[in-house]
Amino acid sequence: MSGWHLRLLQAPAVRLDLRGMTPAALAGLSAAQVEQLRVGFGNTTMALAEFFKVEPLSPDDSADDSLVFEGDLSRCDRIGWQLASGRITVEGSAGHYAGGCMSGGELRVKGHAGLLAACEMSGGSLTVEGDVSDFAASTLPGSMDGMRGGCFIVKGNAGERFGDRMRRGTALVFGNAGDFLASRMVAGTIGVGGQAGAHVGYGMRRGSVVFASTQGTLDIPVTFVPALVDAAVFWQLLARDLARHGGPFAALPSRTMERYLGDLATDGRGELILAR
Amino acid sequence: MIHNGVAIDDSFAEAFPMKGTRIVITAHNLTWARHAAVSATGFATSVIACGCEAGIERELGPHETPDGRPGVSVLIFSMSGKELAKQVERRVGQCVLTCPTTAVYAGIAEGEAIALGKNLRFFGDGWQISKMINGVRYWRIPVMDGEFVAQETTAVVKCVGGGNLLLLCRDTDAALAVSEAAVAAMQALPNVIMPFPGGVVRSGSKVGSKYAALSASTNDAFCPSLHGLVANSEITPQTRCVMEIVIDGLTESDVAAAMRVGMQAGIAIGAAGGLLRISAGNYGGKLGPFHFHLRKLLAAGSTS
Repeated sequence: MSGWHLRLLQAPAVRLDLRGMTPAALAGLSAAQVEQLRVGFGNTTMALAEFFKVEPLSPDDSADDSLVFEGDLSRCDRIGWQLASGRITVEGSAGHYAGGCMSGGELRVKGHAGLLAACEMSGGSLTVEGDVSDFAASTLPGSMDGMRGGCFIVKGNAGERFGDRMRRGTALVFGNAGDFLASRMVAGTIGVGGQAGAHVGYGMRRGSVVFASTQGTLDIPVTFVPALVDAAVFWQLLARDLARHGGPFAALPSRTMERYLGDLATDGRGELILAR
Repeated sequence: MIHNGVAIDDSFAEAFPMKGTRIVITAHNLTWARHAAVSATGFATSVIACGCEAGIERELGPHETPDGRPGVSVLIFSMSGKELAKQVERRVGQCVLTCPTTAVYAGIAEGEAIALGKNLRFFGDGWQISKMINGVRYWRIPVMDGEFVAQETTAVVKCVGGGNLLLLCRDTDAALAVSEAAVAAMQALPNVIMPFPGGVVRSGSKVGSKYAALSASTNDAFCPSLHGLVANSEITPQTRCVMEIVIDGLTESDVAAAMRVGMQAGIAIGAAGGLLRISAGNYGGKLGPFHFHLRKLLAAGSTS
């Protein structure tokens, strides 16, 4: 069996919790077994078949270890939760916690994603073609570290607190980011193709935030200081890596940059990089 | 076997396993990359007393380096992975970290990892920054001209050291000309270095000595000054000067290829240019598992 196609029958009345619906967990099961898997529905659980039409993926899809969700799953949370291997595609929007705690594999959301997308992600790749809501690439409530590895791409816009407490990995927003971008960031790389809201890098200790847009102005917080010298070698290494993702980042290696160091209110070894 | 008047001995070079790595040094321009590479590969002619054998493999254009700057690739070989790690750390720390505008990267991806910038980062005194880029960790160490960027580790691979050619020539001028031509031909190949000064060694050695404290001593059989004095002299009255070229390479085939082009370069000069005979150093097959038979190498070269 190469994988499963799960088509949402209708928007659920309350939120669905799809944790555990990973290609590895469904591998080797029969269609009847998959249909009887329990999914969270409000404060109870119900059979998967109550909400999805389950069909095997055709061999033409050449999708080993694949799972395809179809429909508007914006009320379906924790898609790809703790994903470690395989590929999940959402042909529509996803709910909250999409790709949360994933450590490997690939999750692609063709629509938008809700709150806390890629929270505490540690590996693999997550791509959201649309927008993500607040606290993407950040941390679960009460946890010290946010995203800590992997590659998270948002082709649309991001909400507030993008990359809060982020520790490692690469998170890119092709569009605009909301307020408190990279707040309390510990390390890692964030790239923004559009504009950012207020309080960029609030409490940032280390890490790099790259602004690829030449439009508009970035309100540099007063707790950041301009760097006297560039870091051309590091910039080439980073820019060449980000350029792989295309879009507003494609031309970065051929551009110069301007850096601001901070947040001096904390460790002060982070950097805001403005591509020129 | 005689080619262009040059006698090719029915002998073989005997080489032994080593551990090696490649590092890539880049800089603001090639001059400074070369300064760092020359310094880092200094005093690295023989593992007998240098701890490693090292040399410049080739120069790299901006399109060949991770940061888009000109660079130099360096090969370093040692007898053990532990000794190699020590040498790499010392040499990069004292010769590359110190050299203006440089950065250093691993030149080999697969293999056991040894520290490159991993321990040098402490020079940053707490201001060093780690950066993971596409799965590779780099260290950014603040220095007085900006930042020293070093990849955290480089990889160690099993290599072959001690491939060699003995070029028996008519006189000093001919020996130098032949040696220089052979080294130039070998330097055009990847994955090999000739660690001695100019790639050439005049003090070829044999195993053992009359002095108990010495493990190696002069190769008296090939010393023209001992002609008529030592019983097993290989020297004829026409042979007044002998040079040796030692080759270290990443693989057996790399060393073989270098020996082949070196011999071909010498043969091209021929007896008319003063090269009378090509031989090789071996120890009866007891020292190392890699045997490079001169005639077989030439035959393989002519068929290919």
